[in-house]
Amino acid sequence: MENEFYTDEFEQLLKEKADQFSMYPSKRVWHSIYNNLHPSRRWPSVVISLFFISSLILIGYLNTGENSITRQINSNSNISTSFVSEKASPEKISRKPEVVTYSKTTQQPELQYNNAFADVITNETDFYAYTVVKSNMPVYLSATTASTDIKTIPETLETINNPGDIVQTVNTYIRSNQIFADIAVINKKNKTTIAKSSVNSNTENMIVSNNTDPVKSPAADEANTLLNPAGNQTNTGLAKLNAPKENADAPGNEDKRAVTNEEKAWMENYAFQNKPVAKKWKGRLGYQVYVTPAVNYRKLTTKVKGSATPFAQGDINHSISQKPGFGFEAGVGLNYAVAKRLLVKAGVQFNYTNYNIAADRATHPITTTILLNDPATGYSYSSARTSTTSNTFNAAPARPVTLHNRTYQVSLPVGFGYKLSSQDNVEWFAGATLQPSYYFGGKAHLISTDLKSYVSDPSSISSWNLNVGIETYMNFKLGTYNFQVGPQVRYQVNSTYKRDVALIEKPYAIGLKFGLTKGF
Amino acid sequence: MTEELMLSGCLRNNATAQEALYNRFSPRMLGVCYRFAKNREDAEDMLQEGFIKVFSQMHQYRNEGALEGWIRRIVVHTCINILKKNKKFSDSIDITNAHSIHIREEMIPSIMQAKQVVECIRSLPLGYKTVLNLYAIEGYSHKEIAFMLDIEESTSRSQYTRAKSMLEEILIRKKIIQKPKKKTNFFGAV
Repeated sequence: MENEFYTDEFEQLLKEKADQFSMYPSKRVWHSIYNNLHPSRRWPSVVISLFFISSLILIGYLNTGENSITRQINSNSNISTSFVSEKASPEKISRKPEVVTYSKTTQQPELQYNNAFADVITNETDFYAYTVVKSNMPVYLSATTASTDIKTIPETLETINNPGDIVQTVNTYIRSNQIFADIAVINKKNKTTIAKSSVNSNTENMIVSNNTDPVKSPAADEANTLLNPAGNQTNTGLAKLNAPKENADAPGNEDKRAVTNEEKAWMENYAFQNKPVAKKWKGRLGYQVYVTPAVNYRKLTTKVKGSATPFAQGDINHSISQKPGFGFEAGVGLNYAVAKRLLVKAGVQFNYTNYNIAADRATHPITTTILLNDPATGYSYSSARTSTTSNTFNAAPARPVTLHNRTYQVSLPVGFGYKLSSQDNVEWFAGATLQPSYYFGGKAHLISTDLKSYVSDPSSISSWNLNVGIETYMNFKLGTYNFQVGPQVRYQVNSTYKRDVALIEKPYAIGLKFGLTKGF
Repeated sequence: MTEELMLSGCLRNNATAQEALYNRFSPRMLGVCYRFAKNREDAEDMLQEGFIKVFSQMHQYRNEGALEGWIRRIVVHTCINILKKNKKFSDSIDITNAHSIHIREEMIPSIMQAKQVVECIRSLPLGYKTVLNLYAIEGYSHKEIAFMLDIEESTSRSQYTRAKSMLEEILIRKKIIQKPKKKTNFFGAV
């Protein structure tokens, strides 16, 4: 590198080196551009997404071997339509002024507008119809109430403002360094008197309502210097704003009512200095409500030691007639975005699981046994029970009955979501949760040792368990809300039954999750 | 594919031509975005948005200058617009206590060869590096920068002076450049 170094050479060096510098973008960038330019010919990533979701559903189907649920699973496939999105323009919608009309009434105006209406309304029964325009666009307010001086929302005011109405600023606030205002249009008979009195209150409303004196703030002074190097402009602007406006109201002085550059500069400065302190967690934290209708399946195995019973011969799932049942999960939770693509989540969830068993009702109770394991030795033994239902496998039931193995659970899911891709207002996430669960109720029908009967024994359900949820979903941004939809698989890690039961039941559920999220 | 073919293809919304144009200019444009961005991922987002604008505004290109220059201006403006959406940017561009910012050794990336100057630029505070990028590298005037960033022209000048000074310090400490020798006359230092 050069030993001799001068300023112009320095800039030249920077430019040369910066121009030499190049990087190769990832393929994702071109795919996104391609999808944006050719929405009718989406990149194969959408096909891959569809394939991924379809695979999940197919896996669930193949694991059951029950053709009866085909239609239920197929009905879930309509989620594929959610991949195609139209380019929305929420900004345009949200920037429309909100117009609220209050008809002539004896009711008082809204409490927040009372001060503003104090000049207009002289006695308690003297209320008038009025319209409030809640502007969603920044405005520069002049020190008058003339509607022509209110910027950015003239179209709206033209439609509601009749000659003789009073246009009054009733509420001002600062958002994103800009001043917003709610404007009231009041239908009043005596326009001359009222219009004059409302002029001063307008200015007071705008500045004094915050109970702060921005001129005295050292920070404000510092910024004044920055924005106005001359140093004397800001105070002049403020002085003009606070000064009595009688001259401005004088005939022929209408031009002076317009916002001057000094006033504008002061307002910008004021807004800059008084912006709300940003909370780091705000914008990252959101709450979610969701519900997941699901189809419940189960896998039965046995844990037998030292006992030659039918339990130990072959797959027990092939010895009973069982069908999946419908269940659901519903919960609320908090999502926190720890990185641009990663969010962590926690919440509380209610789960209802249901599984169906086809059985035959017995004419009278019969004695049978269920197989239990000795907690101390691990050896299996038969325990006597009574039963009123029998297994119908490979036999036509005389009095068919459906037994429901149900559980009611409360879970505390903790997990994460990862954004796989995004486009416009649609995002694709994948995530997983661990769900410590408390089982506070349910029904359990255990197959007997000889596989001929069912024994009802709710006390065999273990109180605590752990579930794992795996999900992928599309997130649609709809204004301030986010709507999620996508398939979810929930798997129970440990057996539904207590450790001394030789049957091991591990249910899993495949469902479609619908969620609604809103940021704080 | 020649530039004329690419242009005519892009005007017809031909995907092959668009991809060819993208492949030709995207590496350098990503380098531009990277100097403005916080990290590579943000730079790629800027690049993506920039190229979408390029393709959608292709009909406005009049063949009156280099195509790369035209694309570059769109990409730079896209970067600035994205930065301006970020709240931190508006806070950092009007730094009044810039003199209190000190570059610590660990803040300077330890890298070698081609990227070193760019990485040193990127290690500057956001407001500094933006003005420095626009003025020294992209060739915008302070007046244009003031308009683009909604700041005073004098603010742009002072930001640039401080940015340059800070960058010099970094480059000297990284031994990428050496301190300029003080000019002397017969009686000593000037």
